[in-house]
Amino acid sequence: MMSSSSQSYVNAAKHGQNISVQRTKILLLGTRRSGKTSIQQVLFHHLPAKQTFYLEPTMRVAKHEFDTVIPLEIWDCPGNITVDSLGASLADFATIIFVIDIRDLYQQPVSKLVEFIVAACQVNPDINFEVFVHKAEKLQEDDKIENFRQIHERVVDRLADESPEYEQVPLNFHLTSVYDHSLQEAFSRVLHKLIDSLPYLEDLLNVFCLNTSSPKAFLFDTASKLYLATDSSPVDQATHNLCCDYLQMLTSFGPLYKSNAEGDIRAHLFSPTPTPPPTATPSPPSFSTSPSSTLKACVQSPPHTPSNLPLDARNAKPLFYPSAATSLSPSHPGTTLSYHLVTPHLALLALLPTTIYDMRRGLVEWNVVWFREGVREIWEVEKERSNAEGV
Amino acid sequence: MGASGSGKTSMRSMIFSNNPASLTSRLGATIDVEQNHVRFLGDLILNLWDCGGQDAFMDSYLTTQRPTIFSHVGVMIYVFDVETREMNKDLEYYRDCLEGLTQFSKEANVFLLVHKMDLVREGERAIVFQRKVAELEKASGETAVKVYGTSIFDESLYKAWSSIVNTLIPNARNLSKHLRIFAEACSATEVVLFERTTFLVIATSSPADSSESFSSDPVAVHALDPKRYERTSELIKSFKQSCSRLREEFNSLELELAEFTAVLDEMTKNTYVLVVVHNPVIETAAIKMNIQMARRKFEELQGDSLVS
Ligand SMILES: Nc1nc2c(ncn2[C@@H]2O[C@H](COP(=O)(O)OP(=O)(O)O)[C@@H](O)[C@H]2O)c(=O)[nH]1
Ligand SMILES: Nc1nc2c(ncn2[C@@H]2O[C@H](COP(=O)(O)OP(=O)(O)O)[C@@H](O)[C@H]2O)c(=O)[nH]1
Ligand SMILES: [Mg+2]
Repeated sequence: MMSSSSQSYVNAAKHGQNISVQRTKILLLGTRRSGKTSIQQVLFHHLPAKQTFYLEPTMRVAKHEFDTVIPLEIWDCPGNITVDSLGASLADFATIIFVIDIRDLYQQPVSKLVEFIVAACQVNPDINFEVFVHKAEKLQEDDKIENFRQIHERVVDRLADESPEYEQVPLNFHLTSVYDHSLQEAFSRVLHKLIDSLPYLEDLLNVFCLNTSSPKAFLFDTASKLYLATDSSPVDQATHNLCCDYLQMLTSFGPLYKSNAEGDIRAHLFSPTPTPPPTATPSPPSFSTSPSSTLKACVQSPPHTPSNLPLDARNAKPLFYPSAATSLSPSHPGTTLSYHLVTPHLALLALLPTTIYDMRRGLVEWNVVWFREGVREIWEVEKERSNAEGV
Repeated sequence: MGASGSGKTSMRSMIFSNNPASLTSRLGATIDVEQNHVRFLGDLILNLWDCGGQDAFMDSYLTTQRPTIFSHVGVMIYVFDVETREMNKDLEYYRDCLEGLTQFSKEANVFLLVHKMDLVREGERAIVFQRKVAELEKASGETAVKVYGTSIFDESLYKAWSSIVNTLIPNARNLSKHLRIFAEACSATEVVLFERTTFLVIATSSPADSSESFSSDPVAVHALDPKRYERTSELIKSFKQSCSRLREEFNSLELELAEFTAVLDEMTKNTYVLVVVHNPVIETAAIKMNIQMARRKFEELQGDSLVS
């Protein structure tokens, strides 16, 4: 699904078929062994961090497709690539991620980065520059901060040397490592700048939080553990880590007790292809109206019990959406971490007061349904857009 | 027991306290005998003798302290570093210990752990392990031993330790029988009982070995993953660690996944129960209620068995 090799991509491109989707392109740059391929493999191919040790060096540009709210194409490059040998114009890319090993304080990576920034600014003033100061877990806290600062300073100085006009170029620096969730966090932030519908998703999450007294909620892509959006409260790293770990546990749990019996009845229950929202209910938020205002109006209607949710009330067999909850103590009144799949690959993760989750489950479920319908609407619009652009 | 650096201390802290794998390199090599009183199932106490294996020390220790070390031993666990360059010396010490054990604690079970298996390339693991097993069985002579390949980086550690502590639980069979009754009451495919702090598996509703299973056994029907118990221990342990980093404590979990429905909740004051249901009609609320009703019965069962 997301592992189409560069080979097959080239073939498909040659025939000019099946390329109806306009993918947002991300260029992954950095010196040899800085960790580019590891980042790509850990995020999008479930490679355990420890096994990145066995990765082969990248000899030529490898293009990796990944489908989430927006379709992505990530170009993993060999360390010696130059603007000229890239084989594409920098105007084609939405973002350049430059990976620097945190222990690498030599001139080479900085020169390379500056070379690309200068070239990109010429053809593509809107491009995003993201610098991953990588393998951060290798250093103790103090050294980590110091090296991060030095790398940052050098890049800025070298750019200023190039020409004063580059002082204005916005650069985003992130500390990352494949051994913890700092990589997911950084890449999520990279992604947020590329999702046009982000404000709508954020609105949906804000409304969900408001209605359920949730202090924090994320919309996660379950495969990559990247979050596509979160509510407006600040992201606390520890909470983000816990949500990633929770997601990891849930996705590992599933296959463990999966029935391998022939004709397991459950197999037919979960429909991976979303059905259109029922027409009998008030129309879910759309781009023409503000999602938040519509949603607020909906949730103010009398509370419903889960059994008469609008979802499939008329169908005999209700559509099944996987969900989970874990209750944590000893914080008072206790926190419940809830998980609701809203599309086959997106899940709502929310921290909820346990009292709300236990006593007002109907309210929570009701808001999940509205959230799901809102996300689906946005998803449809995004899909139409990328299809239209691609033709 | 085992040579210095074979991984005993790391292993113990993984199993008996919440110590993530990445921290173990900071523990100094054991240079003294460590006696750890580990509370397990509340009332059962495990004594872990962590002998340093600094050679001169180990030599004198094994001869002069023989009765102290080897009396009243329930289980001896000997740890071998899979990558050791001194296998012959290791085996020499091992034979020495085995002799002490047969002399002072005839009934003791012997477990041999071929540890740090993660250092062996995945493709070669099975062959390397088979070779070690043969070597160790030969060195054990008459004594029956159980050999496990382990690593602190995956679930193999939990598999080995679950089977070790299982030999220490006197009424595992009786617990199993009651779990089977409970599973039926819940329409569950399987029910698994875990110790609370270690999350090691104490008993399950499934027959202990496949020869006892019969065609209507729900687990056999669903052909579940054979590694599920130790993987569950590992998953929950690691999630508990994530929670404690946020100064939260893991309490309970309910799942309605595409694959199955399950509840993991407190059973008695020192056990957790996992109820796995494949029947899509059963709801988590019903399972939770059943657990609540079964609590007293299992407190009693546990009380009966462990006060001795
Ligand atoms: N310590 C540490 N090592 C990493 C990290 N990411 C990658 N590596 C290692 O760096 C080496 C080079 O990685 P690779 O992805 O091939 O680099 P590339 O040449 O930039 O594609 C491998 O041995 C990886 O295991 C990280 O976050 N921390
Ligand atoms: N690769 C690997 N290293 C391990 C494993 N278990 C322990 N170690 C390492 O082996 C070293 C010695 O471990 P330690 O527990 O102190 O050994 P002890 O002297 O037997 O108590 C430490 O650096 C551990 O991190 C394992 O399963 N795999
Ligand atoms: Mg590479």
